[in-house]
Amino acid sequence: MIKSRTFVYIISAIFLLSLALAAYLLLRPAPGRVAEIRSDGVLIRSVDLDLVRKPERLTVTSEWGENVVLIEPGRICVESADCPDGVCVASGWLDGAAPIVCLPHRLVITLTGGGSDVDAVTG
Amino acid sequence: MRRALPLMAALLLLLSACSSAPRASDTVFAMDTVMSLDIWGREEDLQAAEDLIRSLDASLSATAEGSDIYNLNASSAWDVSPDTARLISRALEICALTGGALDVTVYPAVLAWGFTIGDYRVPDKPELEKIAETVDYSAVELDGVSVKLPEGVMLDLGAVAKGWTGDRCAELLRSRGVESALLNLGGNVHALGSKPDGSPWRVGVRDPFGESYLLALEVRDCAVVTSGGYERYFEEGGVTYHHILDPDTCAPARSGLASVTVVGPEGVLCDGLSTALFVMGLDRAAALWRECEGFECVFVTDGGEVYITSGLASGATLADGYEDIELQVISRD
Repeated sequence: MIKSRTFVYIISAIFLLSLALAAYLLLRPAPGRVAEIRSDGVLIRSVDLDLVRKPERLTVTSEWGENVVLIEPGRICVESADCPDGVCVASGWLDGAAPIVCLPHRLVITLTGGGSDVDAVTG
Repeated sequence: MRRALPLMAALLLLLSACSSAPRASDTVFAMDTVMSLDIWGREEDLQAAEDLIRSLDASLSATAEGSDIYNLNASSAWDVSPDTARLISRALEICALTGGALDVTVYPAVLAWGFTIGDYRVPDKPELEKIAETVDYSAVELDGVSVKLPEGVMLDLGAVAKGWTGDRCAELLRSRGVESALLNLGGNVHALGSKPDGSPWRVGVRDPFGESYLLALEVRDCAVVTSGGYERYFEEGGVTYHHILDPDTCAPARSGLASVTVVGPEGVLCDGLSTALFVMGLDRAAALWRECEGFECVFVTDGGEVYITSGLASGATLADGYEDIELQVISRD
């Protein structure tokens, strides 16, 4: 009698646990759009843009110069830089089509996940 | 337990069959652009591709002191490496194929406009006419590895170097057993094989008027190269001057096209053609496509119309937000 009751408890516990696990797997937030900031190819920061709550400035300094990256809820850009051409600042907010690149400072910001359903974009 | 063993062994085998080669990725700064390499292979394969890119950059750059091309332009006669000679030979063939719409000797004009280092200026008409006299790819003499240039003629392989690099990297990786790789050489995409799961690569064609891509192409073992005026330009006196120069006038080509994308198995051909077809304009470009095999194209006109050659039509899908565009298919007959 006691034995079968224990058995029922164990089965119920396993059942509840698997239910909880299924609920977690189904309901957990999908991985958002993640911006990866690389300096000379080295990943220095990875930001889930959908989890950003308040604006933040990140200064990336390398042997070539400085870029100030502005991270806001859902978006990211290079706010200012001391590079000669300013292409990175002119690029504006990061989108799925092309990464933000500061060639003179070897800084690249790319978007992964969520934003794009292609493997690469030409041009 | 004993009965379960063969079952587990079979399961393990099944699992190991599913797993593909590991992925190795890196960013390379070369050829005045940023390149991203994604290779399903070993770290050594990735390193070998990077070394190849750097060595090609060092010999093909027109601006790097000591490169084959720099030495040739400085002395007007030079023995280049056998590799560089192969590229010069192929580039001259593409110039001929396009009737000079691609011309690898347009470099003096590129310098005059300041497109090499960004000190932009608008040369006046007499200056451009004088430069145009020196632009003639057929004046380049190639004999084995010896190259001779007449007085005033300069060679620049910038319009074909990245496509060539894609071909050479793909060839190298394939010889090392890599079956899947995506090389994005500064917007000049070379897809090796298909995706690790066997499906085709999806490559986006950028909207020349926006920041997004307007359509996606499904490709295997192909280069996808776009030339567009939006890539490099400057404004002066309210006029926009872009970097794709018409070899006839030595001024920015105004052919009614905003971008040309060329897709095909040979990267160097796609690279050279994307520039040439942009210069030629839609009608002449479509006529050349009908005469030739080995490539397909997407044209976006200044008016925003999108034309696609018949070989690509079935593998193209419009991106979100671009569903209203009517794809106009160009057919062979």
